[in-house]
Amino acid sequence: MRLRTVLPLVMLAAAYAVISLLVTNSYYQLMMTLVLVWASFGLAWNLFSGYTGLISFGHAVFFGLGAYFTALGQIYFDLTPWLLIPVAALVGGAAGLLIGALTFRLRSHYFALAMLAYPLAILNVFMWLGYQELTIPMKHKDAVAYMQFTDGRVYTLLAIVMTLAIVILSQAVERSRFGMALIAIKQNEAAAEAAGINTLAWKLRAITLSGAVTGAIGAFYVMVLLVVTPESVFGMLVSAQALTVTMFGGVGTVWGPLIGAAILIPTGQILQAKLGAQFPGIEGVIYGLAIVIVILAAPEGIFWRVRDKMRKRTGGTALAESGAVSIPAAIEPASTSVPRNDGEIILSVRNLSKSFGGLKAVQNVSFDVQRGSILGIIGPNGAGKTTLFNLLNGFQHPDAGEVLLDGRNVFGESPHRLCAAGVGRTFQVMRPFARLSVADNVVIGAYIRAADDAEARAHAADAIARVGLTGAANRIASELTTKELRLMELARALAGAPRLLLLDETLAGLGANEAAEVVTVLRALAKQGITIVIIEHTMHTMVRLVDRFVVLDHGAVLVEDTPQAITRDNRVIEAYLGTKWSAHA
Amino acid sequence: MKLGRREFLASAGATALTASLAGRSAWAQAKEVEVGLLMPLSGLYARFGASARQGAEMAVDKINKEGGIKALGGAKMKLVVLDCGDTAEKAKSAAQRMVAEYPNMVAVSGSYLSTFTLATSEVTERAHLPMLTLSYSDLITDRGFKYIFQTSATAGSQATQALPTVVKIAKSAGGNPKKVAIITDNTAASVASVKPMREHLLKDVGLELVVDETFTPPLADATPLVQKVRSARPDLLFFLPTVISDAKLVLEKMNEFGMGQGRVPTMAFGIAMFEPDMLKSMSPDLLQGMIGSIGSWGSKGHEAIAAELKAKYNEPWVDQNVISTYADYIVIKEALEKAGKADREAVATALHTMDGGPSKYYPGGEIKFDDKGRRVNAGLTIIQWQSGVPVTIYPDNLAVAKPIWSKK
Repeated sequence: MRLRTVLPLVMLAAAYAVISLLVTNSYYQLMMTLVLVWASFGLAWNLFSGYTGLISFGHAVFFGLGAYFTALGQIYFDLTPWLLIPVAALVGGAAGLLIGALTFRLRSHYFALAMLAYPLAILNVFMWLGYQELTIPMKHKDAVAYMQFTDGRVYTLLAIVMTLAIVILSQAVERSRFGMALIAIKQNEAAAEAAGINTLAWKLRAITLSGAVTGAIGAFYVMVLLVVTPESVFGMLVSAQALTVTMFGGVGTVWGPLIGAAILIPTGQILQAKLGAQFPGIEGVIYGLAIVIVILAAPEGIFWRVRDKMRKRTGGTALAESGAVSIPAAIEPASTSVPRNDGEIILSVRNLSKSFGGLKAVQNVSFDVQRGSILGIIGPNGAGKTTLFNLLNGFQHPDAGEVLLDGRNVFGESPHRLCAAGVGRTFQVMRPFARLSVADNVVIGAYIRAADDAEARAHAADAIARVGLTGAANRIASELTTKELRLMELARALAGAPRLLLLDETLAGLGANEAAEVVTVLRALAKQGITIVIIEHTMHTMVRLVDRFVVLDHGAVLVEDTPQAITRDNRVIEAYLGTKWSAHA
Repeated sequence: MKLGRREFLASAGATALTASLAGRSAWAQAKEVEVGLLMPLSGLYARFGASARQGAEMAVDKINKEGGIKALGGAKMKLVVLDCGDTAEKAKSAAQRMVAEYPNMVAVSGSYLSTFTLATSEVTERAHLPMLTLSYSDLITDRGFKYIFQTSATAGSQATQALPTVVKIAKSAGGNPKKVAIITDNTAASVASVKPMREHLLKDVGLELVVDETFTPPLADATPLVQKVRSARPDLLFFLPTVISDAKLVLEKMNEFGMGQGRVPTMAFGIAMFEPDMLKSMSPDLLQGMIGSIGSWGSKGHEAIAAELKAKYNEPWVDQNVISTYADYIVIKEALEKAGKADREAVATALHTMDGGPSKYYPGGEIKFDDKGRRVNAGLTIIQWQSGVPVTIYPDNLAVAKPIWSKK
């Protein structure tokens, strides 16, 4: 498999090398090098932003640090770039780690804007230090030892090696637990965290790696340009260059930056060369328009557009066939009477409280959950169900109270640690990783207890079988029905082998028959010993599912009892329908 | 005319023989000699590149009208104009394209901004293509390059020349500056110019710094700055704005406070304050009396060029980029005459060994380059806004007007 994926790349690189060796025009040689420099930069950016979805407008900071490090190292210490470029990678990596640690508390566009500030700030620092213009000292002797070649083709060959290395690195990341974690973060950071992924740690690793690669590229770029100015390595346009080639070509794939750079860099150059002298500035207008048109036609980039087109042509029949979901057999009808009472308490909640300003969303909530039972938490809109849930699984921090999991206090622990402790969850709003297959979606949840990729795959396959989705394992999540998505989310939670499952409105949006199918699956899971806590807005289907109900109203426990008792309880009817109706009930 | 087969073969053979005997340069001699102009023609610095282009076109026209390169049998000069864009990276690419597509080019002039010249000369140096530049940075000729020729005085040399020169001008006009003020913004170029002044240059010529104000563009209100200047009553103000709107605010306020129009002699830095475009946003009254120090400027003896510039391009005066670039092609022509062949190595050698006597177009010094490629004894020009035109007031042999200096 490895060989099959690497071989086309090596052949592509070899073809590029052969072409570059045939080019004798030094300008075209420079172009061939620059295409690879910007493709590499796009790949490095993609390694972080493409996979995690956290858009960085500030990758120039790593690029520039690598560039200046290499220039200053040669000017002041007469070191060779052969040594400086690898060390520049360390500099870029360190900067990545530092910036990540400082900036990851921010999310989405706040993160993007904060990243924008770093290169702009450091640009001024280098101005202030008096490094407005640096030139690499020319070596008449030992030119090769200082990476100064008279033949431009050598730079192209070096750039090919560099690009190929980064592509292979990207693919290795993409296919490993690292890449799956990043993709999970991109698709849904909360879901990833709930699936047991330590999102902060993975994001830090990603920005460190991306910063390191970018630093080395910046260092190499200086050897091509031979002049460094703060604008040319820290400028807005440098960061934008990485974004442009990647977004144009395709985000989240190694092919994107390669396609983007191969088209955009020569186009920009040709326009400037052919039109620049006659109509100064016209190249910018045409270049900009071309990008606008392509982005309008292919918002995710050329690669995805082409791939989706090809899929539609070839993959249409395969989709239609694998629609059926097989429900595990041997399901007995829902027992409406006997709670499985073996007496052992798995989850104990004591006096849990949470306020948002003056609003007491959850106040003094206490209840116990017995191992292997199904507990339903219900209540009208705004009763505090989801807040209670978020307190239980670590997404929100409680103000007061205790949460005992198997007698151990897990009060206020982070989601991925709770996941490791055996608590799985699903979300009210479904959070599938849309571009991934069902199997890939589920495997993300399996890494928490798997030593290697193969073991994780096995756990995932097992979980998929338990929810009856085996037939759909290779389909893309975006093609699934609501019910299938619910089951897939359930499988993802199951893949981490939880002892306790927290389900947030798993039955919402399902028709009566679909809901019945999901209920069947859930009962089977309970039979296998998994404790389930499910919150629902409506009572109807829940009556046939749960062993006990906790009814919440205004953030507090209204009643706790069996389904039969709950349906007849006036207080519950009142809470749901108002006092007027309780009299009729 | 019809050629028979035999005659055709004979002539073809003869041609081949001549070509193989005389080599490529023989071909070139019979045709044209390519010279380049690599300047910013797009982006932020396009205005300056356009001026340089006018100077280049006029010089090449004149050379060709007067019979081309005589040592090459009257070969005409052919000007190749290339845009180096507005960044160091674009400049490098453009230079690479130039050396790749014009292998017969013998010399080039460029690239206005020091940053661009540093980038483009990395390429021309490796291609052994002689380059003449008006850029100031000392670094350009500190790299040990063999094919770069700096025609202006370097920044370091200008910094030490400018202050004593201004004091000399003041004295010649009846002034005697003792106390000086600085108003500068905090952009890199301004800060770099002010730093050596604060450190020692002012002291060296016996000037006392009484007001030293730095602001961040854009300026909202110039009143506090100008009030400080008024209360200190300096004999000379150094003014270093980068943004034209800031310059306008300060000059208007000075005028309002009765210090404008040269009543407090003011010296600005940089060519931007002396471009025709200034008159679009400011009245000539505001600019009246403002002094500038610059690498070169249209001066006495350049009247024909000024007239041609006015007629051909409707430009009101000859600025640094026009005159300095004009001069570059005259120098290149002389080098070609001396080299006797259209070959870049020969032109480079000719430039290094040339001794063209006193300079006619660049201020001061000679048409002669030292080991580093710097023009020997290159001087500078002091100019002053007088009645809506920046005129040369120094050096005396080039001055077209007497300096105006307020005697208080």
